[in-house]
Amino acid sequence: MWETLAQAVINGLLIGGIYALVSIGVTLIFGVVKIVNFAQGEFVMLGMYISFFLATQFGIDPLVSLVVSMPVLFLAGVLLQHFLIRRVLGPNDMPQIFLTFALSLLLLNLSLMLFSANYRTVHTSYSDAAWHIGGLYIPVAKLIAFAVAMALSGLLWVFLHTTDLGRAMRAASQNRDVAMLMGINPNRVFAVAFGTALALAGAAGSLLMPFYSAYPFVGQVFVLMAFVAVVMGTLGNVMGALVASLMMGIAESLGIQFVGADSGLIVVFALLLLTLAFRPSGLGARRGR
Amino acid sequence: MPWSHRGNAMTGDRKPSAINNAVPTKASRTKLNRRKFLARTGGALAAGAFGAVPLRGWAADPINIGALYPSTGSMAQIGTGCVAAAKLAVDMVNEAGGIKSLGGAKLNLIVSDVQSDTTVTRTETDRLISGNKLSAIHGCYASALTLIASEVCERARVPIITGSSSDQLNKGRSYTFTPFARASQFAKAQLQMAKLVSQQAKVAVIFENTAFGTSTSNGLKELAPGEGVEIVMFEPYSAGFTDASPLINKVKASGANTLFSLSYLNDLILIVRTVKQVGLDIAINGGSGGFVMPDFYKNVGKAAEGLQGVAHWNHDVNDDAQKVNAEFKKRTGEFAFEYAGGLVAQTFMLADALERAASADPKKVREALSTLDVSSGYAAMAPGGKVKFGPDGKNVYGRPVGVQWQNADLASIFPKEDARAPLMKT
Repeated sequence: MWETLAQAVINGLLIGGIYALVSIGVTLIFGVVKIVNFAQGEFVMLGMYISFFLATQFGIDPLVSLVVSMPVLFLAGVLLQHFLIRRVLGPNDMPQIFLTFALSLLLLNLSLMLFSANYRTVHTSYSDAAWHIGGLYIPVAKLIAFAVAMALSGLLWVFLHTTDLGRAMRAASQNRDVAMLMGINPNRVFAVAFGTALALAGAAGSLLMPFYSAYPFVGQVFVLMAFVAVVMGTLGNVMGALVASLMMGIAESLGIQFVGADSGLIVVFALLLLTLAFRPSGLGARRGR
Repeated sequence: MPWSHRGNAMTGDRKPSAINNAVPTKASRTKLNRRKFLARTGGALAAGAFGAVPLRGWAADPINIGALYPSTGSMAQIGTGCVAAAKLAVDMVNEAGGIKSLGGAKLNLIVSDVQSDTTVTRTETDRLISGNKLSAIHGCYASALTLIASEVCERARVPIITGSSSDQLNKGRSYTFTPFARASQFAKAQLQMAKLVSQQAKVAVIFENTAFGTSTSNGLKELAPGEGVEIVMFEPYSAGFTDASPLINKVKASGANTLFSLSYLNDLILIVRTVKQVGLDIAINGGSGGFVMPDFYKNVGKAAEGLQGVAHWNHDVNDDAQKVNAEFKKRTGEFAFEYAGGLVAQTFMLADALERAASADPKKVREALSTLDVSSGYAAMAPGGKVKFGPDGKNVYGRPVGVQWQNADLASIFPKEDARAPLMKT
């Protein structure tokens, strides 16, 4: 019993790390640029395909290809912000919603066209390996993914709290107008926020590749969880999204283990509703803002 | 022109609104022309790519066969393979001289994309039938889509022949023909295969909580006692999960020695990989569908060796099937999967019916299909080796074949009559 419970918590925690990378991206964009990026999942998908092609064409390990997928998506984010997002920022939400939603559809269907609907998997030496400790097992690929995800989240935290640009981003997130009055260049801050968010999505994609299959719809699997985590962890709060993601991973795993294999999401949403009932603005409301 | 208005709005309204009055500036005029030019050349290109029907001076009027397959959307992977097989089949019939009783008339395949969507399937089937003089239709491989297409065909009185396995296709329809094993037969075969591994078969059944998973798993549950198989775990899960570990954790706890996973490809890949990770010693039967596709092996790799499944067709079933397989491999690089091979057989069944009907009239083709009785040639290359439709459109000889992944290929191992390789113990 204890063994099963411990295993369920381990499983949940490890996948929660991936949810965290996706949801931190969403919350960062929402916090700083104040738009909801519906296409975040598609950027995870792009990250996966980048790693997949680097692995199959050049034999580069998916974890190493992180150093390609992150900069490429960072650049994509900056360009996207500069050429598209910037133009729809304004008092009206609708164009922003349509823009990111359209982007999601566009990327989805483009990749269907270019990559086809086939599942693509990369096999690495550690893909199916696991450490067995007592009756428990820890899949190596997921452990690495979790560790890197936590390290990247930590780096982002340090960046946001110790650098000028990071502070500017947090300032813009707290009050955009006042931040601009203080001489912060919003376009620059927004571009970095967008780029960083997409780089995190790319990282999630590369980290997933050793143990998950890439296909055009793959982003949608993760983005739902990301949105739940963003709401639960308070919109715009990076720490909140991280904690909420890990909690949700565990909740989902426990739900599957002890309620029913089709009840993972039920438990996740029950947790969300409970959280919102007691803390209407989410977990990160008091501390973060 | 409304477009110029929108064009301005989208580029940020740099010019003060000059939309309704002024003569277009030179810049905007060239823009418009360019747009027209693009629209026209684009249209011409599209017509070249999709519209054109090869007309090569045929002796007799070609016979139109409709093909409904999802070549885009989530089911595109198998759908595009089906289209390749349908083209191969038509080429084979035509190269052999077409339909002789109609003066050597060639088959003309009209492919329609049903986009993995039930609503689109309905409109596309309607459009295909009303826009073309069809003699027959085949499609859509996925039962959910075929059920809708067959309804439309029924109303329009055009025969449809399909590899879909849903038993519902045989209820209250007289224009639907199903030459291969039905879903209920698949379940029985899977249970019998469980006993190949161990006489005391303890089976864990995990299935996605969709119409497909629920109906198939219930079939298994009903039939298990009669086959002497004990089901120790029976668990629905939500399709499209991110992590199979919790589910496999449960399977481990159930003490099962065989795992039936009724899943689509991506979930199944995760499940198999996770079973290997956990180090669980369990025989896996992946059923049919995505599991018996070449792509499955590519994704799972060596971990797929020894895994069992069921299919309505397999490429080692007889020499004709081997020939089809070789040609399909040459064209696509993959072995002929069940729907592909089955589709070639179906096309030859249609050719046989057309030959006997000596007419392209869909009602006469239906009559001829209902009296089809073949036991040799490409039309008969199926497990069982014979095709004859009962009043419900079901092939009375249809049965599934049990398969196993051996050396990156699918080998038929069950039942004895159809086995082409011994069971590989894992």
